[in-house]
Amino acid sequence: MTQEKPKILLKFEGMPNGRALKTYMAHSGYEALKKAFAMSKEDVINEVKASGLRGRGGAGFPTGLKWSFVPKDMPGPKYLICNNDESEPGTFKDRHLCSVSPHMVIEGMIIAGFAIGANKGYIYTRYEFQEEIGQVEAAIKEAYEAGLLGKNILGSGFDFDLDHYTGAGAYICGEETGLISSLEGKKGQPKLKPPFPAVSGYLARPTIVNNTETLANVPHIILNGAKEFRKYGSEKSPGTKLFSISGALGKPGVYEVPLGYSWNRFLNEEAGGLLPGLSLKALIPGGASAPLLTPKECEDLTLDYECMAAKGTMLGSGAIMVIDNRQSMVELLRCTIEFFAHESCGQCTPCREGTGWLNNIMVGINDREVGADSVDRLHLVSKQMGGRTICALSDACAMPVMSYVQKFSDELKAHLAKG
Amino acid sequence: MSVFSEGLRKKIDHYLTRYETRRSAILPVLHCIQDEHGWIKPEHIEELHSKYELDRVQVKEVITFYDIYKDKPTRKFLIRYCQNITCTMLGAKEAICRIEDHIKKLEAELGDDTPFGLEKFPCLGKCDGAPVMLVNKERVEHATVDKIDGLLSKYAPLPK
Repeated sequence: MTQEKPKILLKFEGMPNGRALKTYMAHSGYEALKKAFAMSKEDVINEVKASGLRGRGGAGFPTGLKWSFVPKDMPGPKYLICNNDESEPGTFKDRHLCSVSPHMVIEGMIIAGFAIGANKGYIYTRYEFQEEIGQVEAAIKEAYEAGLLGKNILGSGFDFDLDHYTGAGAYICGEETGLISSLEGKKGQPKLKPPFPAVSGYLARPTIVNNTETLANVPHIILNGAKEFRKYGSEKSPGTKLFSISGALGKPGVYEVPLGYSWNRFLNEEAGGLLPGLSLKALIPGGASAPLLTPKECEDLTLDYECMAAKGTMLGSGAIMVIDNRQSMVELLRCTIEFFAHESCGQCTPCREGTGWLNNIMVGINDREVGADSVDRLHLVSKQMGGRTICALSDACAMPVMSYVQKFSDELKAHLAKG
Repeated sequence: MSVFSEGLRKKIDHYLTRYETRRSAILPVLHCIQDEHGWIKPEHIEELHSKYELDRVQVKEVITFYDIYKDKPTRKFLIRYCQNITCTMLGAKEAICRIEDHIKKLEAELGDDTPFGLEKFPCLGKCDGAPVMLVNKERVEHATVDKIDGLLSKYAPLPK
């Protein structure tokens, strides 16, 4: 497998005026759109299917397949939504991407809209990204002024309007049906699937929700072909991927590497390694909801969906948090549980009550007010929270808790014994 | 008489027709009101209901569901300090303690006119600048305990 580091998504990073339409156009910007307009909708979808592109928001679902679920002959409006709500603790790649290359996202959206027959799109960004929201809105304005959005784009006969929508601080709006509820002006509560949004989404109309990074991959796939996209990554995880890495590191940040890249190399070369004198205690490879890995499990780790799954964790959105030897697992588990308990939307009992119970137990452990059997009780409650709710938030809380208990139960119990 | 300024009324009218349904305007309209007033007052909700046909129950449920909206007065500078995993690892707790300390002292002196309010906040999506906080809408990075006084005194004087 190649360990080359091409810059595709972050091509414009560090380039003077790299965010501007003019710069984007000077580097084959919107050429993929012209090529897509000369293709049939089916061929665009087939090219994306052939590329093997998997959703970059966390679930890794094949993008082309998702697009093909939109009913072709249904009259009336269809919608495309860019999920730029990234709220998973540890994730900040979409913030960086939409700031560096907003036009790559917009071009990807117009192509996706064309392929699924949607004439209206929304970019939904979390409120906390104020600076980036301004940059995305400015890019949309530029695209309208250049005739790249609106009626009869580039003489193709295809109309596509794009608007931006700002969230209001709710993790659950990153879940696609929760996001749709929010866009409709409601509480961001997820809905039961089926029906899937591709059939009944925004205003009960066919809707595709794709992550920002997923959409930004589309122009490259269409312009250079599925084969070129597959040049990087593995058979099942093709392409490059953005990883956001944080912790006590030399160079925390967002980096683009081919899927399947070596973890050790990523940590030491891209992220600049742990700060002097520190060693690795544990790794959270895919955001707060991903089970932890021990240093031993990290030895032969590669950054792709399959290797993570084989080690009982997940790649998620590519949010890597490096836990160094100074850290208290009691403290980190406490803030993880507190987060999910705060963000549970409250619809489903196992999640609303489960996250609340875990939080109560954990506060007790932290304050040394409970017995050692409480550590086992964390596991017992977590075990009953999975697969019983409308969305995955309950599982997202239970999975990391179980991994902390399995791998660091001695430390949790020792903390209690000190009291 | 309206409880909204002319500028705000224009923005509300704009948002009510911008989306496919009026209801989708609730979030952006509340953002505008809060930007101007700092919080959403009961009279704002009543006028949205009576003059703009935005149902008061639907508006209230949005205000209470989302963290950003405030239905009580806020201080001039609302600090939303991230207390998630990476920020905790890099010193959020110590910095938060110091901010709490400052606020306590300011409150003893200034009461309700204390310029800072503090909210411990879920992840702000800037873990590469951890620990991080928002002061109103401005993102402030590397807000460690040794730097926090310098960072906050740009907004308002700290207690002596």
